[in-house]
Amino acid sequence: MKLQIKRSISQIIFAFSANLGAFGLKTGFCYPFFYCNSCPAATSACPIRAIEIGVSKSDWNWRFILYPVLIIGAVGVIFGRAVCGWACPIGSLQRVTGRVARKLKKRFPALSKLGQHKIERYLRYIKYFDLFGLVILIPIFIDFMFTNICPAGFLVGTIPVSILNPGEYVPNEFFYAALVIFILFIVLILVVERGWCKYFCPVGAMLAPFNKISIYHVQVDKQKCTSCNICSNACPMGIDVPNMHRDPECILCGKCVEQCPQSGIHFRRN
Amino acid sequence: MNKILVIQITIFLVFAGLFGYMVSYTSVYDDIKSTIVTTTCFSCIKMDPVTHIDFTFETANGQPNPEFVVDNLTKGPVFLAFRQDVCTACDKMDPILKSVFGIDFEKKVLFYQTVSFDGSNVTFFHINLDHASGDFLNAFSIYDVDVRSGVPMFVIIALGNNSGTIQPCYATAYSLLGESQEEHRGKFLQDMVSMGINRYDENILNYMEQAKS
Repeated sequence: MKLQIKRSISQIIFAFSANLGAFGLKTGFCYPFFYCNSCPAATSACPIRAIEIGVSKSDWNWRFILYPVLIIGAVGVIFGRAVCGWACPIGSLQRVTGRVARKLKKRFPALSKLGQHKIERYLRYIKYFDLFGLVILIPIFIDFMFTNICPAGFLVGTIPVSILNPGEYVPNEFFYAALVIFILFIVLILVVERGWCKYFCPVGAMLAPFNKISIYHVQVDKQKCTSCNICSNACPMGIDVPNMHRDPECILCGKCVEQCPQSGIHFRRN
Repeated sequence: MNKILVIQITIFLVFAGLFGYMVSYTSVYDDIKSTIVTTTCFSCIKMDPVTHIDFTFETANGQPNPEFVVDNLTKGPVFLAFRQDVCTACDKMDPILKSVFGIDFEKKVLFYQTVSFDGSNVTFFHINLDHASGDFLNAFSIYDVDVRSGVPMFVIIALGNNSGTIQPCYATAYSLLGESQEEHRGKFLQDMVSMGINRYDENILNYMEQAKS
């Protein structure tokens, strides 16, 4: 079976299991990926929400901070950011919108240049600001949380709740800000392939360092490399694949592994 | 065995071991489930439920009215305010509650007091679900009439005539009460309590007689 078909099956299974709440299964676990507990069908808790509750107004509920970190850490040590590429439902959505982004990139070369601009690699640090600034620091001091404006919450919470309960809810003070961010999120993932994962995802920021030590990773055989750059062009995360070594951005999607004409890129354990 | 594998296994064992310990020996699993998964966060869905003051006799889950409510109904209507530790809307509603009832309370503590409201007695209960247990915790699902499973939730319990029988009846309101301004939220709560007092005053004598017989 082709790798990308296996990946699609994995993504479908994880998207389904993240929504088993529709059949009454509600657990006390946190997702190890970016998904919202305000979805009417959600099975588990958003790790970001748990951390926010843990730090809110300096309450320091250490259990709520440590618990999602341990779940993400245990999964991250084994799989690294493969979670983003193989399990995350929002990642799966971006896999679909990534096709549109690629077509747009071909049609509008300016978008391609945007991705190659030297500032682009610095933009990738925004997700760490999201994590440490919006998720951890801001809720300590003020009455605001990342989840109040989270686009995933809008996508899988606000929209389904509005459809399932017509006329029973009215927008609250965060609604319009969240709507604007949601629209920007949709535009972003349609224009930049995996734009959310690359630049903004706070769960991706938690998983990224684990790529440095994860058991599963992608390895490039430099002796076989002819610098054809097919792998880098195929990479949805825009990584310079021939020169990467345990790159924090790699989501182990395997596109480079499949497309290398020299079979010089492999998944490795350990 | 190479060095990196030892590091990987050690780190995994630390994370997995601590996680296993937390799930087995602390209440974090149940806390996450009750605080985040089964309770709707209105801030996360960026919407508040539309709220009407409609009195009803049937409890939301078919369970009888809790003992602490029935006991206090002899003094006057009972008002319940439910919240959680981390809840933006609850933090916004607390000062309004304090001002409407002329009381003061800590957000994490179970608080109750019989207060005078427009010359009538009303027993006010402030229940933080993260620290409540027993009847106080169960009261949340008993009065969650629209099954929103979200906080803040406010309930006024009074007495009503149910086809000749005087019984406790209640109305439930949620979150910021569908009002964008603080004054309107305060007015909504005042109206809610006044309606409860009117119903209570109309039926208390018959209720007491019914109890004697």
